[in-house]
Amino acid sequence: MVTPLVNAQDGKPNAGALTAEQAKKLKNPVPYSKKSIAQGRGLFIRNCAGCHGNDGKATVDVIADATDLTAPKTWKDGTSDGEIFRSIRDGQNASMPAFKTQFHEDEIWGVVNFIHSLWPESMRPSLQDKESTEPEHGKSK
Amino acid sequence: MDEKTKPNQDHEAPSTSRRNFFINPAAAAAVAAAVTGPGQLLAATTAPTIPTIRIPKEIPVTVSEPAKPGSFEGRGMTGAEVFAKLCKDEELAALFCCPGNYTVINAIAAAGVPAYGGRSEGSMCAAADGFSRVTGEATACSGTEGPGFTNMIMNIASAAAARTPLLVLASNMQIAGDDREAFIQTAYQQPTTTGMKKFGKRLIAPDRVHEYGAYAFRNMKSGVPGPVHLDFPGEVARARFTDSANLKDYYTKEKYRSESRANPSNKEVQQAADLISKAERPLIVAGQGVFQRKAWEVLQQIAEKQDIAVVTSGPMRGQFPDDHRLSASVAPNALMSADLVVFVGQYCMPSPGEYKLNPEIKAIRVHPVQEDLGRNWPLDLGIVSDEKLFLEALANVLPKKKRDPWVNELAAARQAWEKKNLDEYALGLKHSAATDHLHPAVMAKEVHDFLYKGDIDPKQTVTASGGWTTGLYAGRWLRANRAGQGVVCGYQYGAIGPDLAMMIGASAAVQRGVGPQAPYKGAPVLVVTSDAGVAYSMFELDTAAKYKIPIIAVIYNNNSWGMWPSAVGSARSMHMYLFQENLRYDKMAEGLGARGEYVRTPEQLRDALKRSYKAASTEMASTLINVQALKEFTSGKDYPPGIYLNPEPGTGAFAH
Repeated sequence: MVTPLVNAQDGKPNAGALTAEQAKKLKNPVPYSKKSIAQGRGLFIRNCAGCHGNDGKATVDVIADATDLTAPKTWKDGTSDGEIFRSIRDGQNASMPAFKTQFHEDEIWGVVNFIHSLWPESMRPSLQDKESTEPEHGKSK
Repeated sequence: MDEKTKPNQDHEAPSTSRRNFFINPAAAAAVAAAVTGPGQLLAATTAPTIPTIRIPKEIPVTVSEPAKPGSFEGRGMTGAEVFAKLCKDEELAALFCCPGNYTVINAIAAAGVPAYGGRSEGSMCAAADGFSRVTGEATACSGTEGPGFTNMIMNIASAAAARTPLLVLASNMQIAGDDREAFIQTAYQQPTTTGMKKFGKRLIAPDRVHEYGAYAFRNMKSGVPGPVHLDFPGEVARARFTDSANLKDYYTKEKYRSESRANPSNKEVQQAADLISKAERPLIVAGQGVFQRKAWEVLQQIAEKQDIAVVTSGPMRGQFPDDHRLSASVAPNALMSADLVVFVGQYCMPSPGEYKLNPEIKAIRVHPVQEDLGRNWPLDLGIVSDEKLFLEALANVLPKKKRDPWVNELAAARQAWEKKNLDEYALGLKHSAATDHLHPAVMAKEVHDFLYKGDIDPKQTVTASGGWTTGLYAGRWLRANRAGQGVVCGYQYGAIGPDLAMMIGASAAVQRGVGPQAPYKGAPVLVVTSDAGVAYSMFELDTAAKYKIPIIAVIYNNNSWGMWPSAVGSARSMHMYLFQENLRYDKMAEGLGARGEYVRTPEQLRDALKRSYKAASTEMASTLINVQALKEFTSGKDYPPGIYLNPEPGTGAFAH
């Protein structure tokens, strides 16, 4: 499944963006598995770590005042899969880029899964790999 | 009173004001009206009593004075002249300075080193760096005592991050006054440059001035280059010598440094060749060392011999042409497929993850300094070698091999990258049309088409980019199709706003046709930067005008610091991130003796670029093009895609 580029703007900024309500209803079609977490991590490291840091804690202040991805309770724009997907796809606030021109949808879902793996253990979804119950990355320290 | 010293009497004499860039007055008036509107024309025609901006006669006269180096005969040589003679013998390519350190800068100019004086020491430091980045040559900057010297700090640090062979000079009071805060401008200079130099020394023994000059060039011209900082107390600069025997280690460069370079062993070269031959999708990262050692031709031979992909890295670009079929610099999606990376001349090493490479990739690194091998990036093979000697040795043993699938993948990745950028350009056009302001994707694409798709040789124009939103977009569209064609102003250190000043140096190098710029001698240079950035060095348009070193500065004016989104969530912060809206940088440029253009549409930008390039080529006139934009274009939520970091390595990369 590939997300088309933003539709015609018709003179309106970001006319192709998802609304908050639309986002809440979205279901993650990519299982929360070690494989998808690893794929998401690869994209995250190359595209997101500049602001959020390799560990997602956003302790580097060079580029932007980015969100600490390891502390979902502090987030302002929702923590459901669809809301995270929306933030990545359409951008968030003024400093978070819209990645819909760079990532396919399934890639964005992979990043969503990786972000879940950064959460405190008690808040993470259950891994859907049969052979393991522990994610490769993002273990609590 | 002779012609050289006679003060200017006639304020209506021919000048460099924009009115005189056009031979035909009617055409000039028409262009002025079209570009700047009737207000500008009115101002130009109704204020005849205001003297025009002009270049004083002393400037061209003194620039063209023959060299007159010091001599041990008669009154003898000053310490400054001894040092200047050494600089000349070492072929120091240029000096950029502000007045101060008078004895030294006067001596260097007298010795015959091309010298340029500008408006701030920091900018002059960046200019010296820029000259070096497009030529690979050692250059110098200079300032006075404490304040002039400290004004250079950001740009010294930037040069250090870029491993530029930059000679930082400054006067520094008297040895006799050390620690007394005598008179003014006391500074402890050497501790200040700790961490930003390869070598530094406060000269405290007059008879060792030549010896430490040798230290300076030995460090700049050996191994991995870097800035050298010397500070001159008066006792050293003004000491007099009538006999070379009174100077310590006074001998020629052949005796105080060596051109011998580290050779790789046959075994290591064969190991590298075997690894490359076995790989299916090998990739060479051609860094700064390839440029510094002028190894771009043998690099291309190797790449073509085995269909090896090449991506460039470092503070300058073009050591492998972006328009080559094997270039991965504009094919970032292919980088992840590479199964072997060969770092050659990568002076500033990234860590895995900072480059868009497969975590499992095998790695070879060739570097002149053993201690750096294995730092940051785990290696399968580390080779201590001069970059050029390694590549020449490799070219001799590497068998020919075709890699059609890899070449096809590179081509597909290049198309995908271009399509992505074109899609963003299409979005940018819509944003521009909807707001009547220019989106950065449109600005960058228009500059690209003008430089590489029109009548201009795509290899001709040296370019650079800077700024945040501006630099990220421009970085995706600017190309380096030959050695020394691209400058990455913010490389690694992320210096703020050196861009225009750096291009002063680059333009001086192109005007003189130094090194790889020789075939393009006299061509204009172009920089794309931001309104925030240009404030740091815009006064150097005066320097560009007075020396006739033309620059086209495309300024993306979005009324703010690029980081304004960081204020969005903080109620009392935004005022710290914003400027007055619609500031007229084009008018400021006119006030500095350059041309000014104001644009808000793609068509206006296209026409302004044409006029500016013509003025630069024929009149040696610089132009600032004010591209009026909106800060909101930075926001991906409102105007997708907003900003995002470019893949590294490749075009638009700036970290490593």
